[in-house]
Amino acid sequence: MTSTIKKMTCRILVISMLGLGFQTARAGMIGADQAAAVQGAQSDRAAVMSVLNRSETTAQLQALGVDPQSARERVASMTDQEVHTLAQDIQTAPAGAMSGWGWAAVVIVVAAIWYFAYRK
Amino acid sequence: MTARAATRLLACALAAFVAGCAQLVPQTVALRSEWPQGVPQTVELKSVPFFPQDDYQCGPAALATVLAYSGVDITPDPLVKQVFVPARKGSLQLEMLAAPRTYGRVSYELAPKYDDLLREVAAGNPVVVLQDVSLMSPFIAEWHYAVVNGFDYPSGTIYLRSGKTERQEMPFSYFEREWMAGKYWAMVVTPPGRIPATASEDRWVNAVIAMSRVGGADAALKGYEAALKRWPGDLPAMIGLANLHNDHGEHARAISILRDAQAKHPQSAIVTNNLAQALSDAGRNSEALAQIDKISDPQSPFATEIKSTRALILQRLAQQKAGNRR
Repeated sequence: MTSTIKKMTCRILVISMLGLGFQTARAGMIGADQAAAVQGAQSDRAAVMSVLNRSETTAQLQALGVDPQSARERVASMTDQEVHTLAQDIQTAPAGAMSGWGWAAVVIVVAAIWYFAYRK
Repeated sequence: MTARAATRLLACALAAFVAGCAQLVPQTVALRSEWPQGVPQTVELKSVPFFPQDDYQCGPAALATVLAYSGVDITPDPLVKQVFVPARKGSLQLEMLAAPRTYGRVSYELAPKYDDLLREVAAGNPVVVLQDVSLMSPFIAEWHYAVVNGFDYPSGTIYLRSGKTERQEMPFSYFEREWMAGKYWAMVVTPPGRIPATASEDRWVNAVIAMSRVGGADAALKGYEAALKRWPGDLPAMIGLANLHNDHGEHARAISILRDAQAKHPQSAIVTNNLAQALSDAGRNSEALAQIDKISDPQSPFATEIKSTRALILQRLAQQKAGNRR
């Protein structure tokens, strides 16, 4: 029971803190991104989801070893759509990184097969 | 077996073999029969810089290559902090797209087509590609970013700046196999005033809007202006440009762009709301009120914004009157 309350409080705090930053941005002008949005306008629900996605993606990046400041900046340079996509597949999306260790892996596997299968 | 049956069998086997090839490298096969129109057969962008990568750092190296070519003074080092994900020991595609925006450059993801890749290189835009360079692809993937900076059709060669190799030469077919594993993912990075050769209106304007979040007002301004020069009636670009002007206190320019937008898109509630706001910011509150009262749809998804704009105008009108009375 108490943990549910704690969780809810945390969530509300996260949303309200992030929300403050967004609301003060522009008083009356509606942004170009709203005009370009495929679905037309961004509903209130979508706005909340976007905030949640942003905090979640930031947390995921941190969990993967990015320092908190950089993680925030990196998420800030993405669109809502991109943040949403990344939140879904950050663990599985291809991460480009040729290392040269691929060759080593091949050699080790071949050596192991030879060792266990033929060297009796 | 008669000779005729044997011939038929052979023909079948040959057809199956050709079909198999076409499936292995479909786009290379298509290029063989039809080279994209207007693309020269040999191109090499020799002035594309080269940054030899450290272990796992192909993402930052590829980004630095295209960013430096687009005029940003940069090396891979600062980009490591922006795109490298330590636990994944690599860089994600979405972050590759996001990072150039912070330097006021627009990143544009290409359509997954060889034609478009070649067209961009021919137009002078080196292309970042994602390849699976593993020998055991597709069982064990080893993702790698490289930059295509040229090709030669007669010899069937693609030129890349890749890893520690300054000028990698690769056959079209071999490159396609590796590129195909990355779902033909490719992107270009350009200054905001330079629209890529294969860009479409919607996707380019969206790319500029994405950049305007973090790329600075100057870059955003150039991006919107270039977009409107090419596609004069583009609604999001007009709104973006007007908002920028209004933010910088140039209400008259904002108003003139929004009036133009209103003539072209009379049904847009966003244009009318923003026009009312800009008029009010310029101190022309009665005109602003007339504009905002044009919007009658209470079901509009922007009802909240419109209501608050109207409230603001009324408040300012009241203040004006009070001021006049004094």
